[in-house]
Amino acid sequence: MNGTRVMDSYLLANAESVVARARDGDEAALEELYRAFEGPVYNLARRICRTTEDAEDVLQETFFEVCRSIGRYREEGSLWGWVRSIAASKALMRLRRNKYRDTDELQDEVMGHRREDTALRMDLEAALERLSETARAVVWLHDVEGYTHDEIAGMMSRTPSFSKSQLARAHQRLRRWLGEEVEA
Amino acid sequence: MTHLSMEALLSLREAGREPGDAAAQEHLEACPACRAEHERLHQRVARLKALPALRPTRDRWPQVAARVRAERRARRLRVGGLIGLAAAASIALGVLVGRPGGQLRVGEQEISQAMARSQALERALSQYHPEDRVLDGRTAGIAQELEDRIARVDRELEVAEMLERQSRDAQLLRLWRERVGLLDALVDVHVTRASNVGL
Repeated sequence: MNGTRVMDSYLLANAESVVARARDGDEAALEELYRAFEGPVYNLARRICRTTEDAEDVLQETFFEVCRSIGRYREEGSLWGWVRSIAASKALMRLRRNKYRDTDELQDEVMGHRREDTALRMDLEAALERLSETARAVVWLHDVEGYTHDEIAGMMSRTPSFSKSQLARAHQRLRRWLGEEVEA
Repeated sequence: MTHLSMEALLSLREAGREPGDAAAQEHLEACPACRAEHERLHQRVARLKALPALRPTRDRWPQVAARVRAERRARRLRVGGLIGLAAAASIALGVLVGRPGGQLRVGEQEISQAMARSQALERALSQYHPEDRVLDGRTAGIAQELEDRIARVDRELEVAEMLERQSRDAQLLRLWRERVGLLDALVDVHVTRASNVGL
């Protein structure tokens, strides 16, 4: 994945030696990995999960898995790419476990098109937060993290078409909530 | 005039083109409304990428480290037990097959004693429930160092089990003795600390 190798050297200058020590069970090296990737992992988790508590749990689960599995990391891809795939998978597992209601879809279905939406100009943070769990996860993984629809489909156990339609619907909603709709 | 759907606009941003994208691209070039929509989409994605990075409010490393240590400890007990069983089985086999008198050689006796001592120390250690206790930073560091070294000895024991008998016994004896020494020190760390604070 583009940019993840650059992220490695940016986040952890001496990644190779840290990984070698971590594989040998050196706790200080494992902590170095945690300190290097804690921020981006939490950011990814928080953008996908509804609450800070869930995101922090995902952070913890991710690094527990990293510590357990560092011996299986093959260095074929970037270290950040590997850590990120664990984090994304843990965050999506958390969504499935919590089974949050897709609130924006519920509102749209029950109330029809919300007339106030065009007048209600949210900021992007609020609009992103208002998306359903699934839609927000797809938007973040695709548009920000750069995952393909095939990869997202694999992580979510869904089809690429599902990922594409979630993304399109999410952008329609974001456009409306951000007041970007223009009469054609 | 039918404008491009959001899905079609998004598809034009993808690296691999799909059937129908050529026609969509043609429409985009000819339609100012769709070009504006495409540009807004581009801007929205750029703004998403530029959202500030969120940081955790709490440090979760202590919890991760505690779980890693607990798992290592459990693994050590499992591995120690399995290696012990394997070594005991191979010694017993040596006795049955190699010597009709059923006598253990001196080296084998010493390995058996070291294994028994190691198991006794593991039992003593488990009675202190070290994973539930709070240690000061220096003591925790010493305990961690000892646990790391025991884990390394366990890995070496697994390898030594595969060696030919002659070199295996000497290697096993050295490693089991080292394991006993390290466990002894680890028990000391926990017991001393527990006595000091009256736990």
